[in-house]
Amino acid sequence: MAIRVNPGFIDELDRYGAEDVQLCYQCGDCSTVCPHADEYYKFPRKSLRQLQMGLEQKIETTLEPWLCYYCGQCSEQCPREADPGETMMSLRRWLIGVYDFTGIARQFFKSKTSEILTIVIIGLLTGGFFLFYGFQHGNIHIYDGKDAFLNSSFIHHFDLSFGLILLVFLLINSVRMWYFTMIKGTPLKIPWWMYLKEIYQLPWHFFTQKRYAECEVKRGHKVYMPWILHLGLMLGYVTMLILVMVFIEQLQYGPEIRWQVHFFGYLASLGLIAGTVYFIRNRFIKNYIQYKKSHSTDWVFVVLLFFIVITGIAQHIFHRTGFYEIANYIYVAHLMFVVPWLFRMPFSKWSHLVYRPLAMYFATIRKETLKRQEKLTNPYALSIK
Amino acid sequence: MRIGIFFCQIDNGLKINIDSVAKYAANLQEVEIVQILGVKPRINIDQLAETIKVNQLNRIVIAGDIPGYFKPLFTKAAATAGCNPEEIWLASFNEHGASGEDANERAKAIIACATMGVPFSLVAVGGGNPVNHTTLVIGGGIAGIQASLEIANAGKLVYLVEQNGTIGGHMAMFDKTFPTLDCAACILTPKMVSVGQHEKIKLLTNSKVVSVSGKPGTYRVKIRQRPRYVDIESCIACGLCSEVCPVKVPSEFDEGISLRKAIYIPFPQAVPNSYLVDGENCTYIQSGGQKCGVCIKKCPKECIHLDEEEKTIDIEVGNIIIATGYELLDIRKIEQYGYGIYPNVLTSLEFERLTNASGSTGGRIVMKSKRINKKTQEEEWYFSPEGIPPRNVALIHCVGSRNKKYNRYCSRVCCMYSLKFAHLLREKIPNVNVYEFYIDMRAFGKGYEEFADRIRQEGTFIVRGHTASVSMKDGELIVKGEDIFHDRLVEFKVDMVILAVGLVPAKGTEELSRILGISRDRDGWLSELDYNGNPTDTDRGGIYVAGMCQAPKDIPDTVAQASAVAAGVLRSHTSGLGVGNLSSISLTEFEKRAKNIKIK
Amino acid sequence: METCRIGVFICACGTNIAKIIDVEAVAQTISKLPDIILVKTYKYMCSNPGQEMISQNIKEHKLNRIVVAACSPNMHERTFRQALQVAELNQYMLEMVNIREQCSWVHKDTVEATRKAISLIYAAINRVKLHDSLENLSVKMNPEVLVIGGGIAGMTTALELADAGYFVHIVEKNSHLGGNLSRVDLTAPYFYSARDLISERITRTLNHTKIHVYLNSKVTKITGYVGNFEAEISKLNGNSKEKADVIKIGNIAVCTGYKEFDASRVTHYGYGKLQDVITSFDLEKMLKKGQVVTSSGKPPKYVAIIHCVGSRNVEFHAYCSRVCCMTALKYAHEIKSAIPDCYISDIYIDMHAFGKGHEDFYLKSSEAKTLFLMYEKNDRPVIHKAKPKDDCNLLIEVNERLSGEHIEIPADLVVLMVGMEARADAEEVAHLVNISQDKDGWFIESHPKLEPVATSTDGVFIAGTCVAPKDIPDTVAQARAAAARILARISKGEIEVDAVFSEVNPDLCSGCRFCNKLCPFSAITFNEEEKHSEVISALCKACGVCVSACPSSAIKGRHFTDKQILAQIDGICKGNEFALSYENA
Repeated sequence: MAIRVNPGFIDELDRYGAEDVQLCYQCGDCSTVCPHADEYYKFPRKSLRQLQMGLEQKIETTLEPWLCYYCGQCSEQCPREADPGETMMSLRRWLIGVYDFTGIARQFFKSKTSEILTIVIIGLLTGGFFLFYGFQHGNIHIYDGKDAFLNSSFIHHFDLSFGLILLVFLLINSVRMWYFTMIKGTPLKIPWWMYLKEIYQLPWHFFTQKRYAECEVKRGHKVYMPWILHLGLMLGYVTMLILVMVFIEQLQYGPEIRWQVHFFGYLASLGLIAGTVYFIRNRFIKNYIQYKKSHSTDWVFVVLLFFIVITGIAQHIFHRTGFYEIANYIYVAHLMFVVPWLFRMPFSKWSHLVYRPLAMYFATIRKETLKRQEKLTNPYALSIK
Repeated sequence: MRIGIFFCQIDNGLKINIDSVAKYAANLQEVEIVQILGVKPRINIDQLAETIKVNQLNRIVIAGDIPGYFKPLFTKAAATAGCNPEEIWLASFNEHGASGEDANERAKAIIACATMGVPFSLVAVGGGNPVNHTTLVIGGGIAGIQASLEIANAGKLVYLVEQNGTIGGHMAMFDKTFPTLDCAACILTPKMVSVGQHEKIKLLTNSKVVSVSGKPGTYRVKIRQRPRYVDIESCIACGLCSEVCPVKVPSEFDEGISLRKAIYIPFPQAVPNSYLVDGENCTYIQSGGQKCGVCIKKCPKECIHLDEEEKTIDIEVGNIIIATGYELLDIRKIEQYGYGIYPNVLTSLEFERLTNASGSTGGRIVMKSKRINKKTQEEEWYFSPEGIPPRNVALIHCVGSRNKKYNRYCSRVCCMYSLKFAHLLREKIPNVNVYEFYIDMRAFGKGYEEFADRIRQEGTFIVRGHTASVSMKDGELIVKGEDIFHDRLVEFKVDMVILAVGLVPAKGTEELSRILGISRDRDGWLSELDYNGNPTDTDRGGIYVAGMCQAPKDIPDTVAQASAVAAGVLRSHTSGLGVGNLSSISLTEFEKRAKNIKIK
Repeated sequence: METCRIGVFICACGTNIAKIIDVEAVAQTISKLPDIILVKTYKYMCSNPGQEMISQNIKEHKLNRIVVAACSPNMHERTFRQALQVAELNQYMLEMVNIREQCSWVHKDTVEATRKAISLIYAAINRVKLHDSLENLSVKMNPEVLVIGGGIAGMTTALELADAGYFVHIVEKNSHLGGNLSRVDLTAPYFYSARDLISERITRTLNHTKIHVYLNSKVTKITGYVGNFEAEISKLNGNSKEKADVIKIGNIAVCTGYKEFDASRVTHYGYGKLQDVITSFDLEKMLKKGQVVTSSGKPPKYVAIIHCVGSRNVEFHAYCSRVCCMTALKYAHEIKSAIPDCYISDIYIDMHAFGKGHEDFYLKSSEAKTLFLMYEKNDRPVIHKAKPKDDCNLLIEVNERLSGEHIEIPADLVVLMVGMEARADAEEVAHLVNISQDKDGWFIESHPKLEPVATSTDGVFIAGTCVAPKDIPDTVAQARAAAARILARISKGEIEVDAVFSEVNPDLCSGCRFCNKLCPFSAITFNEEEKHSEVISALCKACGVCVSACPSSAIKGRHFTDKQILAQIDGICKGNEFALSYENA
């Protein structure tokens, strides 16, 4: 059965950031320099091709876009400056839209106004809500304790319930991802135990992001800042998330510092501040090819995160230095950034936190199953021993 | 006639003041409206149609650098507005060379013609100057040789200026030529010989054009001839001098894969068939006559004069033909192929010399061997006739060509010669594996496609997919590539990599274009007067381009073009046509001519 | 008769000969033969030193017979004849042995090949002994020129010659000049106007005092030889009463051009059956009119352009038509700019963007979001009607090579890029002017590289797309090249013809006139008074038909006398035995 090509597809992907993909004349240079392309997952060229031809039903089932960490070597190499790296990035954005059943993600990616508007509205609502709540039940001059302006146990419950809802969204999308890539995406019958056998892939890739580092090893760099900082940012973020979700009451406890949580808090803040600053800077000065083009959602991501970190740290300082009133106001501001941010999670770049490890996991399973079934003809058969 | 003129460009790098030209255009007869639509305008066809209707236009002139680019859109608008599409005329600035100092005037003339429905090329005929029947040909490659012979055979005197010690150019370096595989020497040397013997051809080797003055038809040319230090007349090419010469340097003719002496003959069939001394490397000359000089003592005919001085020659000619050819892109710029790092990564020309019967290995295709350089005591790689032939060879197309970072253009010949290499390899080395990495197989010429098929059938492994990585793993070259048709990544261990390096204009081209006052395109190739109608003339009267210096070309096209130039020259002798600058024709003159022409 | 002093010169031709034939051994063996003064070998005998070596030795050793064993006489007989002349020896005292094409290129076994070479040379020696010195004759050159075909090539050739001051006759079949190019509006890659180009040429041609144009006419008969041809030109407008013009010319330029491939021959493209499947020339018409529409009169949403229709395919033509790729990109742009919201798929095999500005043009087309789809040249796309539910008229099924997918492409309009092929009447023309065609019907140049416009027949030149597919610049260049050749010859005023032709011995001739009818070049007439046949030497191409046909063996082919030929044959037989004396060392 022949697949219908859709010449209009590149126009749609244009809005996800794939501006130059039509320039590609399929020489394959990118695939030869890509550190992650192998006999099982051949990209970027092939993904670019599918995009050019608009084979949506193919692309939505591929894992290749998630295997790319955008080191930019392909884009540097490309003889026609078709920017394969950015194209893979756009495909990831598009896939996030595909996995998301609500359609919000697609909306955000396609129009920056709708995204920013949503953020502002939610932000204001949040602000209004917490100020109203604060003045109702608390005292603006008290930060911690039971009469606090924003009582920590209330925040705690708020966080948990909010987090729970988002978790549901994420779960549903992840299941959809699994369906697209593992059921629709492959003719293979994958044995159930394969899922167990490879489960370690999830934490491994989540906490090491090893493949990100490999990019630069291939390029011959010793230390690789982007990887270190990306890792720092991510770990910091996750730590902070856990602290906020679980130990918020300890964090807000005063006056004396509870080192068992705050120690982690400071560490996390460090990672976060370093990460956000580094990436914002790069996107400004466009020092590496992978920062040359920044999609609106990329900006929103880093900037929002930056403000969250700043306000978070600020309210902490004012709290500890006894300026409770200011601390409270900043706290509200902090929440005004945090809530829209949390709301964006399942519909934005953020969700790659979940999809990437999943993709690695799925990819390995598919590869292993294939190997097992010995379906693949050895591509190295031709190379001379 | 109700004429509407629309200005639209696709580049804003024009030397033309559009406003002043538009003002001029507005005052032309029967011109109703003039609109300036700007650079790459977004034209709404319906609005355009409206404009045409409202002004009842029945002739439309599109003026711009490449107005044809917008024509389809105007045609549609005209059709919808009920104006006859046949009445759309192009005032094409690029096509008719409105780019020099006289760009504005030229643009006006072009528009004037368009409004009258007269093709500009019909009125843009320079000439009328008295023409000196002597011709200067710059460059002694196949193009220069062909042009010189054509003209000389018609009985006209030709000065052939060649910067090297012999004529023959690149073609003399080749072993076989695609697609017929007849040996280059066999078909070239007879022509070289007849150039050498022709009484109507004055051959000036080791020479360079340093200045050109005068006007078309009577150019005064100053030529600087570097000393050859050997008397061409008396030298019998016995080679005794070369035997005793102690200096060894890489041979230019052999692309540096073999060594020559300081006194040498580039190759056995060189024309003129006489030795020459390379002054930079001759001990005697460098030491100001203090050291060495053994060749002088050895020479039986006493024809070596190491104290010879540089000569300047002044000649007057009617026409000048540029046939300076090409050279290879400096491949060291593109690191990932490891040229200059891995010994057995070769350029196409190096391989030509390696496989050539008169090459350093007598035509044996071998890998480089190691030896200790006696002087520097360092180990160096060289081709020894006893070397081991490679078992696996990779050929990489489009190295530096079709690439925004290096050459944007296609070098036109690489596909075919790479296929030829594949054939030669398989012919000379039984059961060698040859891998070709290509993007598009450009086998466009007569018999080329058939040749490509033949090579495929011969069992060369042809990979559709370029490669950007040649690396070395434990002493073996690794070529990675994506075999797109078989949907797999391949990694070949090979003994030799041959790079089909892109072509660029020869070194002197830029300087020469300045001396002669002719323009070059963005890639540095010399610009022809009119891409379609006049591919061999230039915007300067009596100056022509032939062969590679205008753009990459294969031998048949080069030869055809060289002969074509000869036609222009011979014609000018009887009619004086083409010998005269268009810039010397005034705008009013253009208008007058256009008015008086009846289009048939 | 003076004693023969024979010199044998053996060429190694780089390694072309030496790689198979043991040249030195041949030299040694041959030198044992009687009358052989010297045997020399050299790497490139054709080179300057090689030739000097020959003339030197002739002078020094008073050689009066020369045998050169090298490549085909076709390639270098003239070269070596010159060498003889330099040494003031009659050039016909040379005999060439082709040990390259006939030995080293066709044999693998060194011993056998070497022996063959020896026996061939032996035979040549036998023959050369009987050579006698002959003198070339020179005939005057008529400066007028006949150009067959009034397309861009023909007109360019004619104008070059006429501007140089020589009279030209153009013969054009159609009622107007311009040829195929007059059907085109814009040219790739710069969108220059083809109409301007062609109307410039036409105007100049028709206004030129030194050009006479015969429209609606064809050349029906050509007699004579280089420098003195006679052509008969008759009108095509039906009434045969109108007598044909007869013109005298010195040279002929054939610029008959091409015809487009008939797309309906490719059955599964359904041209002529399926609506909205059109050829490039149909589209050209649409574009000229400014209305690119489907059969239903609506502008198409999807347009597909299929390359290489009839080209690069064993079934039809193996060759590439050279211009279609760029033309296709041109159409892609033209359609896109006339219908901005239309999607264009360009279905190609290899993108031949080789010329100046071509690659940039390809890039621009990509920037304009043309979708390029690649197919295998022997696995052509299939076009069929779309179902009502589809949003397009046609669907094109093809195995796309770069994605490896079997795809279908939506299309409202399918443009077939038809290739070029030799004209139906090419064969007729070939016979008329006595030149040969290759397997595809294109005219064959005398050397593909160094003589791209000359032919096997002296005085007949070819240019443009009748030689092979070409774009405009290359055609114009070639047309001028042809003009240059002709100019060079005319300006000399006269031309030398080989002394090789047949002679009738009047005493022996019985006047049977066999030969008169047989001669393919009608070079033999009958002398009524003397009652015997006569050969017009300049016309005679020395094919030898008459010689072998003459019942009373009254006709002798100069330089190919029975004695000489028999001696050669005899030599082959003797040579074979003699060659056995060579053992592979």
